[in-house]
Amino acid sequence: MTKETEKFEPRIVGFLCNWCSYAGADLAGTSKLKIPSSLTPIRVMCSSRIDPVLVTTAFLHGADGVLIAGCHPGDCHYDKGNYYARRRFAVLKKVIEGLGLESDRLRLSWVSASEGQRFAEVINEFNEKIKKMGPNPIKVKTSL
Amino acid sequence: MERKIGVYVCECGPNIAEKVDIDKVVGAVSSLDGVVVVEKYKLLCSADGKKFLEEEIKKHGITHLVIAACSPKQHEKTFMEVCENAGINPYLYQLANIREQCAWITEDKDEATKKAIRLIKAAIGRVKYHSSLEKKEIECNPAVLIIGGGVAGINASLELASPDRKIYLVEKTSSLGGMITNFEKTYPSMQPSSHILKQKILDMDKNENIQVFIDSNVEEIIGFFGNFEIKVKKKEVDEPAEFEVGAVMLATGSNFFDLKKTPQYGYEKFDNIFTALEFEKMNLSGEISLKNGKTPRSVAIIHCVGRDEKGYCSEICCMYSLKFIRYLKDKIPDAQVSNFYSDLCIPGKSYQKFYEQTKGKNVDFIRSTNVEVTKKENKLSIKYIDENGNKNSLLVDMVILAPAIEPTSDVSELAEIAGISQGDGGFFAEEHEKLNPVSTSTDGVYIVGCAQGPKNISDTIVQSGAAAGKILASLIPGKKMEIEVKTSHISESFCIGCKVCISVCSYGAITFDEAKKISVVNEVICRGCGNCVAACPSGAATSKHFTFKQIHQELLEAVK
Repeated sequence: MTKETEKFEPRIVGFLCNWCSYAGADLAGTSKLKIPSSLTPIRVMCSSRIDPVLVTTAFLHGADGVLIAGCHPGDCHYDKGNYYARRRFAVLKKVIEGLGLESDRLRLSWVSASEGQRFAEVINEFNEKIKKMGPNPIKVKTSL
Repeated sequence: MERKIGVYVCECGPNIAEKVDIDKVVGAVSSLDGVVVVEKYKLLCSADGKKFLEEEIKKHGITHLVIAACSPKQHEKTFMEVCENAGINPYLYQLANIREQCAWITEDKDEATKKAIRLIKAAIGRVKYHSSLEKKEIECNPAVLIIGGGVAGINASLELASPDRKIYLVEKTSSLGGMITNFEKTYPSMQPSSHILKQKILDMDKNENIQVFIDSNVEEIIGFFGNFEIKVKKKEVDEPAEFEVGAVMLATGSNFFDLKKTPQYGYEKFDNIFTALEFEKMNLSGEISLKNGKTPRSVAIIHCVGRDEKGYCSEICCMYSLKFIRYLKDKIPDAQVSNFYSDLCIPGKSYQKFYEQTKGKNVDFIRSTNVEVTKKENKLSIKYIDENGNKNSLLVDMVILAPAIEPTSDVSELAEIAGISQGDGGFFAEEHEKLNPVSTSTDGVYIVGCAQGPKNISDTIVQSGAAAGKILASLIPGKKMEIEVKTSHISESFCIGCKVCISVCSYGAITFDEAKKISVVNEVICRGCGNCVAACPSGAATSKHFTFKQIHQELLEAVK
């Protein structure tokens, strides 16, 4: 059983807003920081574009974790988009619990374009957490 | 039409090639559905690389292009141009970022290779669902409305006015010049302030491309960047003036903190207590005197009045207080001047020198708290707690209060009319504090000078020049303006008319069609954030180039 967990390589979907967090992730790259390969970044223009259906779909398809990252409060390129993302995130946490998932599999973080280091910290920490939590139980069920 | 996807993997010199097994990547995606060609190339963004791509697109009849290279922040536009040159729509292409977000961050080469394959597969999946988007351009009006006839508005008017760009300057008082007209001199040069303004106002009068409205207020601004309709109302005139402009600049200045809120300073209760502005005016009149006509022998200047109440430092009060010392010393050389301050704000390359040259004989700087002004016989008594926590007091003939700078009383009304928001301290909010300090959340509306926050004359001129530059660069006479293509769109047949999209849009880009009972996106105003798409409960709203299907394809690869 322990061996199984050790081998477990999560699949993490990262919805990154174009202006802050995607640029922050790029900076982590130019700074040659270590980012787990479990992350697949998906660029969106604003964190407010992240449709709750997209997040639930990601989990239903078997994502082990979903990260939503946007501009810091007050810094949104589109004025208030990140505040909408935050409200939807709060509701989504409840929704995914309803799906039988731990709400910690969904994470919201603010990462600015200059915070490459912070992006690396956020994703590494999240990756470790998801590793400890193990595979998405819905994915396990559907594969049975 | 048959879909032919071409995939090109860039080695980026050694940058990608050393960290990702490119041959393995090429092999892994070659046989995917729709893919007709997969090639690697040493440096796709080079002139040779672009030429190679163009020829490849034509040779293989590629309809959809996937490039695996660096971040879209680096070269998305480069390859869009290649598409255009090769005759395919630039939106039928997707860039997979296998450098910044793969090769450079993944330690293990096998892992990096697997991730690169995943990212390219996601891009291939996505590009299949891309649609052609057409570049959109609108006619624009190069004219500019400037609200506020102070130094910021005047400077911007002169920078912008030209035979093919008309400037409308609207000033609510009866004359131009603004706050500076009250100042005898400006710091740190101590040159007469008329040097700054007089010639400029004469130039304004002579310039036939500038139309000035005095005693007037802007009543209405409707429209969008490039095409605003303006209504200006002059006092005691019934019919408002109407005209069209392409951009709006708010240079409405600031006000002073209301001293009624700080009764401890005795303002309006005792004689011989003046606000900074009253003192400027008195000095400008030529004589500094007490109410009884006598010359003051001792003066206290109290800094930071209202700072705690407002919650910010007003930046300029320390410097103009130092200027007041100069005024006093010029007119009453033996006067004793005592400054009560909590922090001295004298930044920059020349202010420290100004301070050093101002302090000296009969000039005190007392760091203090709990300052209070009362009357003692025919003098004013300043009670305070000094730096060491001791209670102290000082008798003076005259007190000058340096109150905080705050937004003008009509700031909320103007924000509403111009469709922008208020930020810290109630001042107009800039789009980004550092990156876009003179732009606002509404395209084509700019904020300059003290309307954006307290600042000195030099910084005000810098901002008005910056905003003028932005306008000159974007509203070019005779040229059409390119607008955002990746906007939202609401399907007429799916919209249920709930108006949720209208309530979440930061730009007022969505209106309600009362006849059809549906929401409609004005694609000229829409900035393409996609918030309405996430909010729409009926799936009627979509983001062009960020559709559900396109993102869903990326998702499918991400979880494999």
